[in-house]
Amino acid sequence: MSRVAWVLLAVVVCIGLVAPFGDWERAMTVIPTEAGLGPSPGHPLGTDHLGRDVLARLQLATSAFAGPGLLACAVALVLAVPTAAVSAYRGGVLGSATRFAFTSLAAIPRFVLVLLVLSIYGDSPTTLALAVGASYVPLLGEAVYERIERLRGEEYVLASQAHGLAGGRILWVHLVWFACGRLIGRHLLALFGFYLVLETTLSYIGGFGVQEPHPSWGNMLVFEWGRRSLVDPGLLAPGIALWATLALTDWASESLGEVEHG
Amino acid sequence: MGDVLTLSGLEVRAGAEVLVHSVDLLLAAGEICALVGASGSGKSLTARAMLGLVEIDPGVTRGTLEITVGDRSYQPPMSGDFRARKRAFEGIRGAVVGYLPQDAGRALDPLRTVGRQVGHTARLAGRDDGPLPWLDKAGLQPSVAGRYPHELSGGMAQRVVIAQALARGSRFLLADEPTTGLDPAVRRPLLRELRHLADEGVGILWITHDLRATRGLADRVLVMSEGRVVESTTPDVLDSGEVSSPAARKLVDATRRIAGGRVR
Amino acid sequence: MLRTLLGRAVLTVSSLVAAATAVQLLLWAAPGDPIDLLPNGAELRPQLEAEWGLDQPVWMRVVTNLGRAATGELGTSLSYRPGTPVTEVLAQPALNSFALLIASLVLALAWSAGLAAFTRGRRQHTSRLVRTLSVAPVFLLAHLCIHGLNEVTWSLMEAGTIARPAWFALPGEASAMRTALAVVLLAVGSGALADMHREAEQALISIRRSGFVDAARARGEPTFLLVARHLTLPLASLAAARTGFLLGGLVVVEKVLLINGAGAILWQAALLRDVPVALGITLMAATTVCAARLAADALRVGIDPRLRSQA
Ligand SMILES: Nc1ncnc2c1ncn2[C@@H]1O[C@H](COP(=O)(O)OP(=O)(O)O)[C@@H](O)[C@H]1O
Ligand SMILES: [Mg+2]
Repeated sequence: MSRVAWVLLAVVVCIGLVAPFGDWERAMTVIPTEAGLGPSPGHPLGTDHLGRDVLARLQLATSAFAGPGLLACAVALVLAVPTAAVSAYRGGVLGSATRFAFTSLAAIPRFVLVLLVLSIYGDSPTTLALAVGASYVPLLGEAVYERIERLRGEEYVLASQAHGLAGGRILWVHLVWFACGRLIGRHLLALFGFYLVLETTLSYIGGFGVQEPHPSWGNMLVFEWGRRSLVDPGLLAPGIALWATLALTDWASESLGEVEHG
Repeated sequence: MGDVLTLSGLEVRAGAEVLVHSVDLLLAAGEICALVGASGSGKSLTARAMLGLVEIDPGVTRGTLEITVGDRSYQPPMSGDFRARKRAFEGIRGAVVGYLPQDAGRALDPLRTVGRQVGHTARLAGRDDGPLPWLDKAGLQPSVAGRYPHELSGGMAQRVVIAQALARGSRFLLADEPTTGLDPAVRRPLLRELRHLADEGVGILWITHDLRATRGLADRVLVMSEGRVVESTTPDVLDSGEVSSPAARKLVDATRRIAGGRVR
Repeated sequence: MLRTLLGRAVLTVSSLVAAATAVQLLLWAAPGDPIDLLPNGAELRPQLEAEWGLDQPVWMRVVTNLGRAATGELGTSLSYRPGTPVTEVLAQPALNSFALLIASLVLALAWSAGLAAFTRGRRQHTSRLVRTLSVAPVFLLAHLCIHGLNEVTWSLMEAGTIARPAWFALPGEASAMRTALAVVLLAVGSGALADMHREAEQALISIRRSGFVDAARARGEPTFLLVARHLTLPLASLAAARTGFLLGGLVVVEKVLLINGAGAILWQAALLRDVPVALGITLMAATTVCAARLAADALRVGIDPRLRSQA
């Protein structure tokens, strides 16, 4: 089950990563005579109110979150994990200070922080990715810190230290990779999902994020209702794609679950 | 008196593994019956099954329980439908069969004072005289009533649990290793309290892994090993070493070795 | 007990100050001059240079601004409502948002605890259903609810089955229907319900397995109150941890459901790059989170004697 989720998620991300290099004429050209068509062999999901192919736009829209989402994950990973790991392993003043910093920054709601950054630094996918990644640092950092601090005093760590294993090796291989790998993986999946939610939310409400004529699963949902049937696949497709992708990240993270010890 | 609790053919399984094999047990009012066995032999499971507290995995697969108190008789179903079992046991737990849990320190609610907890139990049993008489009966100072469980020593916690059992006023009491982990100075008065309770007419099943302690206190001894009752006898007979089963033999020998090696 | 609480209060307040400082640094670290970023920067320059103390070093500006914020002065709005003090801009909307926040926090706690009592680690299908429903973003749920409701009502009205209901309101008018929808969606969407349900469930399972519940059961005592009292402890922490998350969601529901609240203003202020307003709202949000942490701590210390004695 979760393997299927991983594969599908990888497919979505790959489409998003190669999409910018493709030819998306069908997704972008406005053809008024073909507006609002239902599903047909030529347009499996029909066309939107400007006559653009919904399926093509749906595919192109993955590029709005795939690359930046991965960037956000990388930012959080690079900023949070080394800081948390080293300071938790060392402990003492450094540990307390890092802990305090994480707790303090976690007091600012992530979404609010991201909007503040957008208001100061302006709106671009890179800024958004950096802001989202950085805003996730306290959460990821605190999780890693807590885990390593708990494990630091355990037998096997003390035993490896007694055996003269180098501190760096113990920390990075045993504590970070083996003991926190799944934890970090779960958090990064959650962060990717958060980026997807944020990007579509911004694009849906408008003013930030992806704006017409470029497609996002968020701004594709904005259209006039009441003209067409409620269950038109073309109208519901972006919402379904979004919901399904989020469910996929959730299922995928189930495979990273671990038996709680202690 | 004539009150009696009869357990027959109890079987407990966890998955395919049988943890308790067809245990029969009879407990009469006014007696102390010791259930002795190495740890892991299924003593606690047997006691908890008699309260309907062994749920699904492990769960009771067979067995009947019959309790006669005065002219009333209870026959709760031991296995089968969860709800029916729960309903049947609700009238029995506490009022008829009481339980002294294995780990008294964890058996007390950490958020309420000792006095409140004992008083609450007394009130449920229909007694309005508050916690103090029961604490006193269990040998505790009245000042203990104002303390929280984390401020008690192991022996005191054990006494509080006994005070609760006294306040509940059960006809039978299943005491699961009530003295394990206590030092001898505390252990003896506690055991004397059990004897006293039995003399007042309560039937007590006393679970222990200490064969020696049963001498002079228990009326009968059941030896349990690997989920079976392998020997049913008296402390004096055990003391003389006349046992039939190899498992009981091993227990007796082990006890002798410890006693022999002790510096007197 | 007072000592314990005081210690926590000091820690919480200092982390709030640290958070505020971090936000200030974020502002002053912006490339170039922050005034250049404003749409009407050129005309505001003389006024702002004095007000923001741009001739002073960064640390001076941070300290000055923190001092002002501590006395409740958050500056004046630049572009959202030019010239109005930020506190005045935010007063009423912040109250609206706060009411929404409390309502959805209470709702989320109540039904995650109820759901946890129902599933108790057993009913895997129910839990999976909850997770799958709850991963949907708040805006998507709101979108589907509004349009679904409108379509259905509209077709019923066209068919003459019902008259125009009162809540079939024009946008911009306050409506109890929309407020209720906001509260519910905030407590469900973007994973809120799933996460809280999972944590409440784990807490409930470990409480029900604990020795004192077992002992109470063996004595034939009702365990409901006992379990409920113990469940308050993890639920209080959970509520505090979730406050920040719900504050973020508040921005979205207020925008999508057209509710006049601080979240919707934050959006507008961010669009117009009205930095004082955005900063003020961020600060208020951080203060709310810290207050929630402190309240949860106070509740826990009040209930749990073990926390009182470890002062
Ligand atoms: N929840 C459980 N799941 C599986 N096995 C159990 C469980 N509880 C007890 N057992 C097994 O049942 C056996 C008897 O346990 P118990 O009655 O507690 O022994 P004791 O005689 O020490 O009181 C042990 O071997 C133990 O491993
Ligand atoms: Mg036992």
